[in-house]
Amino acid sequence: MKIPVNLKINGDPVELMVEPDWSLLAALRTMGLFGAREGCGAGECGACTVILQDQRGQRTVNSCLLLAQEAEGAEVTTIEGLANGAGGLHPIQQAFIDHGAVQCGFCTPGMILSAKALLDENQDPDEMEVRAGIAGNLCRCTGYNQIVEAVLAAAEKMKEGSS
Amino acid sequence: MSFTYARPRSLEEALDLFAQAREKAAYLAGGTDLLLKYRKKEAAPGLVISLNHIPGFDLVEEDDREVRVGAGATLRVLERSALIAARFPILTDALKHMASVQIRNAATMAGNVVNAAPSADTAPPLLALGAEVVLLGKEGERRMALKDFFAGPSRTVMTPGEILTRFIIRKPAGPAGGGYAKVSRRKAMDLALVGVAVQLELEDDLATCARARIALGVAGPTPIRSPEAEEVLKGAAVNPESLARAGNLAAQESSCRDSLRGEAWYRREMIRVYVRRMGLLALKRAREASTS
Amino acid sequence: MSLEAGGGGAKLSHVGRRLPKTDARNKVTGRAMYINDLTRPGMLFGRIKYSERPHAAIKRIDTSAAEALPGVRAVLTGANTPEIRIGMLKDNPVLKKDRVRSYKDEVACLAAVSPEIAEAALELIRVEYEDLPGVFDPAEALEENAPLVHETGPRGKPNKSNKLPLPWRLEAGDVEAARAASAFVVEDELEVTWVAHCCLGASGCVAEFDAQNNPTLYSITQIPYLAQNDFNRALAAMGLEGKTVRVVGPTIGGGFGSKLDTHVYEYLALLLAHRTGRPVKFMFSREEEFRAQPPRQPARIRIAQGCDAEGRLTFREVWMLLDNGAYTSWGATTPSVMMNPISSLYRVPNIRYVAECVYTNNIYSQAMRGYGNPQATFAIETAMDQLAEKAGLDPLEFRLRNVNRPGEVTPQRLEITTCGLKECLEGVAEKLDWQAKKAGPRSRDGVRARGVGVGSLIHVGGGARVYKSDGHGMIMKMDDFGKVSVITGAVEIGQGSETVLAQVTAEVLGISPEDVTVVQHDTDICPWDVGTHASRQAFISCNAAIQCALKLKAQIQELAAQSLEAAAHQIELSDWACYIKDDQDNPDCRIALDKVLRQAHFTNKGRMLMAETFYDPPNEMLDKEFKGNLSCTYAFGTTGVEVEVDQETGAVEIIRYIAAHDIGRALNPMLLEGQVHGGAVMGVGYALTEELKVEEGRVKTDNFLDYKLLTALDRVPVEPILVETDDQAGPFGAKGVGEPGCVPVAPAIANAIYDAVGVRIKSLPITPEKVLRAIKEKEGLPIDCEV
Repeated sequence: MKIPVNLKINGDPVELMVEPDWSLLAALRTMGLFGAREGCGAGECGACTVILQDQRGQRTVNSCLLLAQEAEGAEVTTIEGLANGAGGLHPIQQAFIDHGAVQCGFCTPGMILSAKALLDENQDPDEMEVRAGIAGNLCRCTGYNQIVEAVLAAAEKMKEGSS
Repeated sequence: MSFTYARPRSLEEALDLFAQAREKAAYLAGGTDLLLKYRKKEAAPGLVISLNHIPGFDLVEEDDREVRVGAGATLRVLERSALIAARFPILTDALKHMASVQIRNAATMAGNVVNAAPSADTAPPLLALGAEVVLLGKEGERRMALKDFFAGPSRTVMTPGEILTRFIIRKPAGPAGGGYAKVSRRKAMDLALVGVAVQLELEDDLATCARARIALGVAGPTPIRSPEAEEVLKGAAVNPESLARAGNLAAQESSCRDSLRGEAWYRREMIRVYVRRMGLLALKRAREASTS
Repeated sequence: MSLEAGGGGAKLSHVGRRLPKTDARNKVTGRAMYINDLTRPGMLFGRIKYSERPHAAIKRIDTSAAEALPGVRAVLTGANTPEIRIGMLKDNPVLKKDRVRSYKDEVACLAAVSPEIAEAALELIRVEYEDLPGVFDPAEALEENAPLVHETGPRGKPNKSNKLPLPWRLEAGDVEAARAASAFVVEDELEVTWVAHCCLGASGCVAEFDAQNNPTLYSITQIPYLAQNDFNRALAAMGLEGKTVRVVGPTIGGGFGSKLDTHVYEYLALLLAHRTGRPVKFMFSREEEFRAQPPRQPARIRIAQGCDAEGRLTFREVWMLLDNGAYTSWGATTPSVMMNPISSLYRVPNIRYVAECVYTNNIYSQAMRGYGNPQATFAIETAMDQLAEKAGLDPLEFRLRNVNRPGEVTPQRLEITTCGLKECLEGVAEKLDWQAKKAGPRSRDGVRARGVGVGSLIHVGGGARVYKSDGHGMIMKMDDFGKVSVITGAVEIGQGSETVLAQVTAEVLGISPEDVTVVQHDTDICPWDVGTHASRQAFISCNAAIQCALKLKAQIQELAAQSLEAAAHQIELSDWACYIKDDQDNPDCRIALDKVLRQAHFTNKGRMLMAETFYDPPNEMLDKEFKGNLSCTYAFGTTGVEVEVDQETGAVEIIRYIAAHDIGRALNPMLLEGQVHGGAVMGVGYALTEELKVEEGRVKTDNFLDYKLLTALDRVPVEPILVETDDQAGPFGAKGVGEPGCVPVAPAIANAIYDAVGVRIKSLPITPEKVLRAIKEKEGLPIDCEV
C-alpha cells in the first residue's frame, strides 16, 4: 500500500507515492531523477548523496539510508536542481568539467553535491578541508586529485562572484 | 515485509506508540544503523517510530557543573560544536573521524551508543569522561553511568521501549585534558581497529595525575575501561614512562580478539602505543586549557 | 623528445589541448544514463541463486515454490535450459547442473515482475547438496590426492590433476650459464592476492528479444564484438542459429578490465528474456558485485635475478603459481602479459618464465588494469632493489645502468622504438631529491622514518595483437555544414577515448572538436573493434581516425581544388575553410568549407562526403614460443615515492609521489593526467590497503566498509611528469597510457619502506601489521610480549 509523502524537490512541490519502507533514493529514482545513484545501498559510497533542508537546517545525506517518509515537509536538492534554469551551470559543475574531475561520472552528482554543501558552509577551505568534505564520496577513476583541484577552483570563482 | 511509520511530537507519545506495538517497534533516529539492518534483513520491525521531530530532543546545553547533550543531536552538530570542542576535545576527536559527513549529518551520538557495537567511536571518550545516560521509559526516568550501560556485543541494559534521552557529562573540577585515537586502515569511512581514549585530571602542579580514565573500543565485547592502568597513573607523575606502564597494563587487561578486520596482537600493541600518545596529548591539552 | 607538452612539428590547434571531456556536461548534470537507469516496457527483474557450498554435488533443485509465487514469470536451472559453456576453456556452464565448484556458481535464475517479488522468490528455491572436499590453496590443489575441481575437461576427457593445460613458458638465452657467471644473485618469494575492480557502477544488463526473435543486449561490456560472437554461439545453443545479438551500451560506470570477458549473468538475461518473451534486467547489488564479479589474478611468485660485477643484469628467472579458481577467465592469461616486463623491463639477456594455473574452489579471476603487469612488476622491481643492494649500488643508478634504449629488441622480441625510461628515472630522481634523501638520516625523532623508492614499468603502448585481429573499424561522414560524425567501434569507459577522437578528427579536417559527434556502443551501426583493453583506444582509434579523416580530407581537397583552380595537394584546411597553401589571406584563394560541401551535394550527380577505414596496426601475434613484436610501441614509466613510516605502529604515509610516464605525446594532457592520478591511487590501494579476503572459498569482504578503497582523505599527492618521446607509430606521436599508472606502484612503495626502516615486505597489501611485525623482528623486539 503506497502512501503519500509531500515535499519539495528542486524547488517544486511534489507528492510522492511511496512504499512505507522505501528510501528517499528509491523514491527519487521512480520520479526519473536518476542523478542520485545506488553504488552500495549501505551509506558507504556516497553515490546517492542529496541535499536535505528541514527544520534542522541544510545538510547532505545518503539518500539510500533515509526513509522517504522522513523527508515529509523537507526540501530536497538533487544534481538535477543545481544548474540554473537558463541552462547555465553551477560553478562547481563547470569547475568539474574544466579540471578533468569527471571520468566515468558515476560518482559525480554525489561528489558535486558534497562539494556544494562544503562550500556553502566554508567559503575558503584548504585542501584537507575539501578532502574531509568529500571523504564520504568514493571515486575509483580519478584518484580524487583533479576533483579537489576543481572544488578549490570553484571556491575561488564563487568568492569572486560574491564580492 | 515493510512496516508502518509514526512521527510522534513528544517523548510521551513515542513511548505510548512503542507500548501499543508491543515490542514489534523500533525507534528511528539517524537511521544509518536501523535501515542498514533492515535492508540486510537483520531487523524487521512492524512499526518504526521516528524520534526526529520531537522539539528540544537535540538540545545541547551547559551550566556550571555539567554539559547535557540531547539524544537527538547529530554527530555533525556535535562535531562542530564549539562548546564540546572547548570542554571535551576528546569527544571531538572521535566525532571528526566517524564515517562520513553524510552519515554524521543523520546519525546521532545516542544511536551510536545504543547500538553498542564494540567499535562505537563515541563510547570510549564518553566512558573516559565518566558520562552518564538518562533513560526514559513508561515507568519513568533512570540515570546511570555509561560504564554500567553496556551488557554485551550490541547489547545494552535498556528495556524494550526505553529511550535514551540525554547524556550528562560532568565538567572536571580542576585541570583536565583528554585525547582519543582511532586506529584505522584509512582516514575516513572506517571502523576503528581499536579505539583508545585517555582523560586525565591533574593536580594543580599540572604534572601529577589526580585521576585517570582510560577507555578502549574493540578491545572486548563492549567498550571498556582499564581500571588497573588507571590505578597505576593515579597520583603518579605523567610522563612517557608512567604512561608506558599504563599502556602495558591496559593491553593486558583487554580482551582483544582476532577478527576478519584485525589481529589481537596488533590491537594490543596499539593500545600500548596510543595510551602513551593520548596520555601525552591529554597532558598537553590540560596544560593549555589551564593557561588560557 | 621533450619534457613539455607539444614537441616539434607544425603548430596544432586541438591535439595537445586540455580539452574537457565531451560528455562531462552530461555527467555533471546527472543526465548521463547508466545501466542502472535503463528500463524497457514490460521489463522483468532477474535474480541469480548462487551456490551455498564451495564444492558439492547438486542432488536436487526444487524451484516449485518459486515458480508458484505470483509475479514470477520463469525459473531456470541447468535442467530446463540448453547447456551453454563460456570462458576461454569452455569450462563454465552458465547454469550448474550436477556440481557446484565455488560460492559464485549460478545454480538457478529467475525473472519476476518486481525486484521485491524476485527477491522473495529467490528465497523459495531449495537446493540439496552433497558436500565434496574443497581445495582452497593452489599448492594443495597440485598435490597427489587433491580433490579434482573438474573431473573432466570440457570435451569429456578425464582430468588427471587440477593443473590447467596452459603452456606458459618463455625462455631466451641460457639462464643456467648466466646465473653461474653472475657476480651477484638474489632469489626470493613474493605473494599478491585478490583485489576487486570496485567500479562505482555495479554490473547489470537488459536483454530483450523483438517480435522476430532478434535479441538486443544493453550491456556495459568493453568488448562488444567479441561478446557478440560469444552470445551468438549461445543463441545457437538456444535454437536461434543465425540470429545475431545487437550489443548496445549505455554510459559505463567504470571498467578497469572487468568487462573484458562475457559474464554468466549476461547469458542468463538472454535465456530469461527468450523464455519469458519480455525484457529482463539484471542489476547487481554491491554485495553481489564483490562476491560474483571475478577479481584481479592473485599469484605466488619466485624470482631469481643476477648481475655482473659492473651491475649489468645477466639473467632473470621467474616462476609463478596462479590460483585459477573454479572456472577459467582472463586471469589464466595474465602470464602472457607478465612475460612483457619479465623479459623486457630493463635489459636482461637471459630469461626464463614458467607459470602454472591451478583449479581451486575459490572465485575465479579476470582481467584488471595492468593485466598481470602489476603483479609481475612487484616481483621484478623488488628483486632489482635487492640485487642493487647486494651489488653495492644505488637502486636508481643500478636501474640506469640497465635501462632500455630506443632501437633495441628484447629477449621476447619486443621492438623498442621510442623509449623515455631514462628520462623518467632521471626526472623522478630530480623531483624526489634522490641523492640528498639517500645521503641523509632516515629519522629525526626515532619514531617516524622516511625513505625513497622507485619502480618502473614497460607496457604495450601501441595496441596489442592478443587476438588475430587488433583492428579497429571506423566510418566518418561529413554533413553539409562540415560537422562530422565519427562512427567507431571504441568503447568509452571513462578514460576519454571519445574526446581525443574528436580532437584528432578536428585537427586533420580543420574544424573544431565541438563539431565532431562520436557514435559508439552499438554493434548494429559501429564497425568492428577488438575491444577497449591493453590501453589501446587512444593509439588505435586515433590512428584510425587520422586515416579516415585523411580520406575525407582528400575528397574535400579534390572538390576545393576545382573551385579554386588549383591542384588538390595545394589545398589546406583550417578554421572551417579551404585555401591554397601559403596564400590563405588572399580571398581568391579561399573558400568556406560548407560552401564546398553544398556545391558538391546540391548539383547533378551530387555527392556527400563519407569515408571508412579498418585500421589494423603493424604489430604481431606472439609465436608458439610467445615471442614477437606484440605492440607497435611500448610505454615506459617510473614511479618514485617518499614514504614516512611510523615505527611504533607500522603505518605508512605517502609524502611525495612522482609519476613519470613516457607517453609519446599527450593528445589531451588533462585527460592523460586523469589516467595517471587514477592509476596511481589504484596502485597505492593495491600496495597498502586493498584486499579481497577469501576464506574457504567465501568472499568475506563484500562491502565498502570491509574492502578498503582509498577515500579522498587518503591523500596521494601525485606529481605527473609527462615525457614526450613523439613516437612515429602513434597518432600525433601518442602512446597508450590507461594502465601504466597502476603498474609499478607497489614495488616503489615497498622499496621506499625498505629505505626508511630496513624491512622488506613481500606480500600485498603492505599493512601496518606486516610492517610492524617486520620492524620488531628486525630489531629483535618481542611482539606482543607483555601479555
